[in-house]
Amino acid sequence: MQKAFGKKSIIFLFIFPAFLIYTLFVVVSIIWAGYYSFFDWSGVGSKAFIGLQNYVELIANDKVFKSTVWHTLIYTVINVLIQVFGGLLFAILLSRVKKGRTALQTLYYVPVVISSVAICQIFLKLLSVTPTGVVNQLLSMFNPALKVMEWTSNPNISLYVTAFVEGYKYLGLYMVIFYAALIGVPDELSEAARIDGANHIKEYWYVKVPYIKPVIIANCILVLNGSLRSFEFSYLLTRGGPGNASELMTTYMYKQAFASMKYGYGSSVAIMIVIICLVIGLMFRKITGEGKEE
Amino acid sequence: MKKNKVTFGTVVKWILIILLVVMQVYPFVYVMFSSFKTLDDFRQLPAYALPSSFYIGNYITVFTKSHMLTYFKNSISVLVGVLIPLLLIALMAGFALSKIKFKGKKFLLNYFLLGLMLPMQVALIPLFTIFNKLGLINTYAAIILPQIAFSLSYSIQLFYSFSKFFPEEILEAAIIDGCNPLGCFFKMVIPMSLNSVITVATMQAVFCWNEYINAYTFTRSTNMKTITLGLNDYVGSMGLTDWGATFAAITVTVLPVFIFYFFSSKKMLAGMSAGAVKG
Repeated sequence: MQKAFGKKSIIFLFIFPAFLIYTLFVVVSIIWAGYYSFFDWSGVGSKAFIGLQNYVELIANDKVFKSTVWHTLIYTVINVLIQVFGGLLFAILLSRVKKGRTALQTLYYVPVVISSVAICQIFLKLLSVTPTGVVNQLLSMFNPALKVMEWTSNPNISLYVTAFVEGYKYLGLYMVIFYAALIGVPDELSEAARIDGANHIKEYWYVKVPYIKPVIIANCILVLNGSLRSFEFSYLLTRGGPGNASELMTTYMYKQAFASMKYGYGSSVAIMIVIICLVIGLMFRKITGEGKEE
Repeated sequence: MKKNKVTFGTVVKWILIILLVVMQVYPFVYVMFSSFKTLDDFRQLPAYALPSSFYIGNYITVFTKSHMLTYFKNSISVLVGVLIPLLLIALMAGFALSKIKFKGKKFLLNYFLLGLMLPMQVALIPLFTIFNKLGLINTYAAIILPQIAFSLSYSIQLFYSFSKFFPEEILEAAIIDGCNPLGCFFKMVIPMSLNSVITVATMQAVFCWNEYINAYTFTRSTNMKTITLGLNDYVGSMGLTDWGATFAAITVTVLPVFIFYFFSSKKMLAGMSAGAVKG
């Protein structure tokens, strides 16, 4: 097989189409964005070369960008907590059930397959204030003041609400992955632990969870990468607002380019996003030692 | 004593489980019920109440006063346009990277996997300017090509890990019988990888159907909008005035995914977990 498939032309034939599309649209686009980032350009008319000025402006003077970096980090931490730890807890719960597992698994996964647009619309309706949405109506049973509680338009909490909705959507995905890992833990290990007198909590804490550590790390990386480039929830749920309270790096970039028509400046934001994503992603890989064995 | 403890634990466990199911499923149940509410229901009943009657006027509004059918047609066209080339070239690359030995293979694999860390939004500015120059804005190509490119990393990774289990002996035998590599690929590799192809296809189909930012950036006219965009625009243009129609619109866009998901859930869940656990 190696002899027939190992020919240069065959390898080329198999890999080149993917290589071409990927390089053209992913890699070249990003390099191209890097090129634009050195210009003052509104998307139409002539570009004025200004060197590193966009970056200087961005790092030294742009307070909004700084706050979006900060928001993105908070957003990412919340999402890792909800998706990874929440997902793990759900998965443990599910692995403790004997009846109806498949049905439960299917139902928990439902939000994952729904589009972000629909999820955002649904949450806007659930959290609505005029007319009173379900959440406020239920809360007002406990405290009438909560009937007019603003969720998406309160600058103190809009970022957390946005992060929560994204966490909510993807929770089921990580639950399914953790669940598959948990039921893959060899029975002998749990049996040995139980003979040694471990209760269920200890069994998970000392045996099962450490056993699936590689999966936990891999999921952390997935959530990390997903949240750092998250866009839709902030853009659709709160429009990044009120003010810039829930603005993320990506929504800021998008608005700079397509709303303010600052293509050069937007591109420099884009390049900063790439750098931050790569640095955090690679750092996390290095710390946890993931990907070394491959 | 011990028996009591166990049953107490079981009760707590089931309460938790049911609570979680309600949390995960209720929002959609709520939307579907609300789509049958009349204007009076919205005014008089509390938000969590069931509709007073089975009113389908909202659905009529959605289908007569918006371009829902156009949106459906566009979404389906984009879906087909993305899936077929994506699956073909990703399987080819994933299979070759996993099964054929050659120089630079490790580099290529890492090169493809780098895409998992790169945000799609970053490519939007350059792609928009280029598409604009080429006159591709408002065409299927502008929506489809970037989606294929940005889905490649993940699909190749999955096909790469699935292909490791592909039995080589069969290909050896076919080659001895005079089958060329491309023939082997179409006659043996694709049929024998059908399970992994279906897995990746179902996952990517859901991603693609729900895709927003690409379509949002590269389409300008109503007759090119996909279903996710259509939903948002629809809601935006109706504002707070027509809640019933909004709920009906959400239901209409969500329902096809639900139906698809409940038929393919077994495959999708298995593939999702296998891909991530082994990947």
